[in-house]
Formats: sequence, C-alpha cells, structure tokens
Amino acid sequence: MNMKRVYYEDVRFFTSGVVFFWFVALLLFLAAFPFLFKNYYVYVANYIAINVIVAIGLNILVGYTGQISLGHAGFFAIGAYGTLVLMTKAHLPFLVALPLSALVAALFGFLLGLPALRLEGPYLAIATLGFGMTVTQVIGRVGFFGGRQGLHAPELSIGPWNLSTDRDFYYLLITITILLTLAARNIIKTRVGRSFIAIRDADIAAETMGVNLVFYKTLSFALSAFYTGVAGGLYAFVLRYIEPEIFTLLRSIMFLSMVVVGGLGSIMGSVAGACLLSWMDLQLRNILNIPYLGEWLKTLSQSFFSITGVSNIQFILYGLIMILIMLFEPLGIFGIWIRTKKYWKMWPF
Amino acid sequence: MMKKGFLVFLTVAAMAFGFPFSAAAEEGVTDKEIHIGQWGPQTGPAAAWGSVARGTDAYFKMINADGGINGRQLIHHMFDDAYDPAKTVAGVKELQEGKGMFAWVSGVGTAPGLAVKDYLMNKKIPWVGPSAGSLHWITPPQKYLFAVYPLYEIEAKALVRYAVEKLGKKKIAIVYQNDDYGKNGVQGAAEELARLKMKLVAEVPVQLTDSDLKPHVMQLKTSEADAVLLWTSVKHAVMTIGTSAAMQFAPQFLSTSTCSDFPMMMSISKGLWKGVIAATFAELPDSKSPLMAKYKKDAFDKFAAKDERWGLFYYAGIVFSEPLVEGIKRCGKDLTREKFVSEMEKLKDFQGISGKISYKPFDANDPFSRQGQNQTTLLKCIEGGAAERLTDWMTIQ
Repeated sequence: MNMKRVYYEDVRFFTSGVVFFWFVALLLFLAAFPFLFKNYYVYVANYIAINVIVAIGLNILVGYTGQISLGHAGFFAIGAYGTLVLMTKAHLPFLVALPLSALVAALFGFLLGLPALRLEGPYLAIATLGFGMTVTQVIGRVGFFGGRQGLHAPELSIGPWNLSTDRDFYYLLITITILLTLAARNIIKTRVGRSFIAIRDADIAAETMGVNLVFYKTLSFALSAFYTGVAGGLYAFVLRYIEPEIFTLLRSIMFLSMVVVGGLGSIMGSVAGACLLSWMDLQLRNILNIPYLGEWLKTLSQSFFSITGVSNIQFILYGLIMILIMLFEPLGIFGIWIRTKKYWKMWPF
Repeated sequence: MMKKGFLVFLTVAAMAFGFPFSAAAEEGVTDKEIHIGQWGPQTGPAAAWGSVARGTDAYFKMINADGGINGRQLIHHMFDDAYDPAKTVAGVKELQEGKGMFAWVSGVGTAPGLAVKDYLMNKKIPWVGPSAGSLHWITPPQKYLFAVYPLYEIEAKALVRYAVEKLGKKKIAIVYQNDDYGKNGVQGAAEELARLKMKLVAEVPVQLTDSDLKPHVMQLKTSEADAVLLWTSVKHAVMTIGTSAAMQFAPQFLSTSTCSDFPMMMSISKGLWKGVIAATFAELPDSKSPLMAKYKKDAFDKFAAKDERWGLFYYAGIVFSEPLVEGIKRCGKDLTREKFVSEMEKLKDFQGISGKISYKPFDANDPFSRQGQNQTTLLKCIEGGAAERLTDWMTIQ
C-alpha cells in the first residue's frame, strides 16, 4: 500500500491531502498566534522557536550522524556574539550579520569536527565539552565582547520595519524557523543526509561504500553549528541582552536532552522535544499555583528538598518527566507520535 | 482512562491560563491590595542569594500583619529565575502582563536585571533596589529605576580612608576581579588615594576561573603592601587570605560588602577571616537598633522558614524594599506610579536599617538623582564570626 517506488516519492513533502491540510492549518495557527495569546506567550513562543532551531541542528549531528556534542552552547554563543558585534561594531544589517556569524559558528563546527574524526563516544563528548566551556571563558575575558558585562542588542529594523516588540520579532523568527526546518528535512533526504545516516549506522561500512568520512563528518559538525549559530543570533534579540554566563554547560546539556527526549534521528522529534522541554523550563514553576496540588508539592518540597519550598520541586518533576518518557518510549516523543499517527491515521476525514 | 486525560487537561489549562486579570485605576493596585513583583534565584548557581527574596517576603508579611499600607495589603509575587536571564524575562512578562504588578523590587543579579531593564522602563513600571551594586542601573539614570545598593567605589573609598587615616597604613594594594565589579574597586581606591597624595602599590587582577593564587600573592608580597583590598568573589577572597597565610604575608585585609557576611566567611575560610575589615550597607544581625530588633522579631521569627538564617542576604531583602514601602506610604490613599515616583524623589536622608537614602528629581545627566544610598559602615571580623563596628555611617561623595 504505502511502498515508495521512486526517489521522488520519498522526498515528496505532502504525502497526502491530510498532511497538506494539517500543514496549512499549522501555518495559519502560527500566523494567528500573536493575536490569540497574550504578549507573554509570544515571548515563550520565541524562546521555543530558538530551541527548535538548535534541536534540529543538534539532531543532524547526534541523531543522524551519530556524533555527540556537549559544546553546542559554544556555537550558540558564537552566533549571538557574532551577530551583535557585526551589527554594533561593523554596522552590518541584521540579515547580513546573522548568516555571517552563523558561518563563523559553522567554521568552528568544522574545526571541532576534525578531532571528531579520531574521537568517539565519551572522548568526543569531553572534547566538545571543552570547546563549549572555552568559548564562554574566552568571550568573558575579551573586553571587545563586553567581557563579563555582556552586550546589549541594538534596535532591530529590517527594511522599513522596526521590530521592537516580541510580536514583531515573532514573525521573523517563525519564518526563519520554518525555513530551517524544511531545509533540514530536505538535506536529510539527499545524498548528504544518506551519507550522515550511513556514518551513524556503520562508519567503516560507509567508507568502503564510498562515503568520504572526513568530508561528511566535518560537514555534519559545520551544518549543526550553523543552525545553532543562527539560533544564537536570534536569541540575542529575544533577550536583547547577552553575557557569557548565559552560555553554560547546562545549556548544552539542555539542548542535548531536547534532542534525546524528542527522538534521535527525527526532525519532528526535535521540534516536539524542543517545544516540550522549553515549555516546561519556563512554565513548570506555575505548577505551584494549581489549587491543592501546588500546596501539596510545596509542603513536600519544604519537608524534604529545600527550606523554602519555592521551586526545587519543579526540577524534580522536570527530571521525572524526562525519565518517564525515556523509560516508556525510548524513541522519545517521536515514538509516541508515530503510534498516535497510526491510531488516528485518517481523522477527521 | 478518560477521567485521567481530563485531569491532565485541566492541569495543563490551569498552568496555561491560571492568571486572572484585575481591573483597577492603576495597574497592580486595588482598594485592598498592592501587587509587587520580585525575582530571585532559589536554585542554580546563585541560589545562596535566594534569601534576598525570602527576606522581602517576610518583611511584606510583617507589614500586612501590622495592617498594611494605607489599608492595602502588599501582595508579593516572587518567582525563581535560577539566575537565568531567559527565565527572568519570562517570569517578569508573565506576572506583568498576567496579574499586573504595580512595581518591582530588588531582583538579584546584574545579568537578569539587565535583561528586563528596558522592558520595565519602556512600560514605565517602577523598580526599586536592584540587588547588585552595578553602575548599569544609573548610567544613564532611568526615571523609574531607583538604585539602593551603594556603589562599590564608595566602599573602596571608605576602606582606603580608614586604612590610611585611622590605621596609618602607608602602602595600599588591591586584588580585584577582572570585571566591572573589580574595576569599580580599583577606581574608587585610586581616587581616594589621589586625594591623599598616594598611589596603589600593586593592582593584581584575578580571573574568575583562577584556581591558584600564589603568583598573585607573590606580587602583593613583593610590593610590600601593608594593607590589601580584596575586590573579588567570596571564593577568591578566602583563597587570597589562605595563600597569604601559607606564604607568611600578613597585611591588613579589607573587603567589600559582598564578603561582609562574617559567620559565612569564617566558616568557609576556617577561621582565617578573623581580623578582616569589610564595608557593609546594613546594620549587623545582632544590632541594637530598635528597627532591626523589630524586623528580627516580627518578620523573621514569625514568617521565616524553619531553617532560615538571619544573615545579611536575608535582611538585604528588607533593605532593598524599605524605600519602596516608604514611597508607597507617602503616596497615601491615592496610589499611582507617577505619584510614587514623585514621592520617591522627595526621599531625603531616609533611614531604615541601611545608610541614609536620598533621591533627587530626575535628571538624565545626574546619575546620583537615582542612586539612593551613599553611605557605608566598616566592620571588623572578630572571634567566632562576630562583627565589631568600627565606624558610624560614613557619607562618601
């Protein structure tokens, strides 16, 4: 029934009318979002979109190519600082500064890809971890980058539009996010993507089949860093202020957990993982405001975890949710999605 | 199964839309309530400063127990931002746009504060007493932002003045963290020494990540300094003293308010902190001042959590909110933000448990129109982490 016979069937975006319907529905929803919700939720959406971009970029590396990185906060920082510095010091417009700094991030990604040719697993994790921490340290010491005081984002205008509110920025950000998501999906369906997957599954076999390991491994790092760099540059304008302490190891781990929870080797999974974890990151503390349950959690926290009972409990819940997902669905949210999809295949038609 | 799903849905809905709007003449003010927001890390790298927000909370509860302000209760909304600016922005926007805060108070940290500064100022929402001594708050001064924390320069000047004039020290050196904070210390010390026709004999920078301070201490030792200012983090201050002791270098150490929580410093340094002089911006925990005793009895004893400590950070939460409360009091029944700002500008030598606080009518060219406290007092750490007060409140310009 559902067998694909030619390549073009595999790369086709709309596999059925149902998919097309939902895609248009999603676009309409995203376009109407700022008018449906309060400004605060637009900020949350922006935060989520940033993480979606990073998660997709990281998934290209981790999920599709089978490498690991604990240093993506470093690329994130390079993107953020690069964009602001190019805009404030070199007076480049945003739409030039953003891809340029993402390219700088990609260059660093390429360089970090070189040791990855020899390193695997935990060794690679440590190498990338070192990279991430070094970037923060270096930026923190250089006065040109504002040192520990950080940098403020300048006014943002593109052509005749002045993007000063969360809502204005939302449209730019969502457009970029959608484009990058589609681009990632397409890359994976090409020769490049298949090479990544071949390397992940068995790199020696891939090499004997003619996949150039040096080229594709470094390319994967560079591509992943590019995505993260773009996200970093955009993040600088979501926060409008950046400083080195924002780009910590904790952030790298957060990125990685989005990819894993979402589902390795799945673009949809990355989107879902990023949405869920960033949402929980910002919103989980409100669990204390729920009647009865909140009171109970507060007391629980006060008796066992912290004297204040303010919020440690949310981190415990956060961890618990992640563990439960991994325990019951090792494929992550993507696995849940596949099963749900099968179940609701033709709904509502 | 169905029932469970419904419950989950309810929970999510409650999380998402759990914030009702409140209608009033001024945002965040009703006949019975005044809503004040505050962020503070309860978790994460800076969790130790979380007690600031809890101190404010107890202080507000005390005021409410005493009948509130002009018949209104202070409703304190504090949230944990884990010292992550992204969460600070999220929380501030959520509370501001959801519940509507009349004003914001304190708020720990330079980075979290800077991330929300423009947002609050563009919306013309008053913000009193950011909990970080930074020039960022007053350069340029903002009409709705009232700084309380004394500038580190002032502390440096006071310490140098005391060391030279009272202790007769001849050679002053400084170890400083290589950032804004440290450089403010160097600048203050240099200016004061220039006034006394002297110079710093050594300026030794420390990086945040340095883990061996022997070279730094060697530099101090070679300069033969007889007094050393410590303008570093708590960790490096303690390390400097420890390394100096090991290298048999024993000048008079002087430090900032950051390191003035003596019981804590004594326990970290295993007793080496004894004899160190530090500047501070508030009364001592065991102060005889009647106001301090009242706060201890009516705020801390009644409302603090069981294992809370009556330490500097805790009642710093009170220090930063005192001017806010005073400003609201002076507005009387008719409380609006504009009126609040104009009442704040009239504060002159207002004193709670810190030095005197004064503001001036807003002047975009005068940072000191929004820098409240310009006083500091010096303490010496004695046996058991107790403090001996060396000076009265010193006013430094």
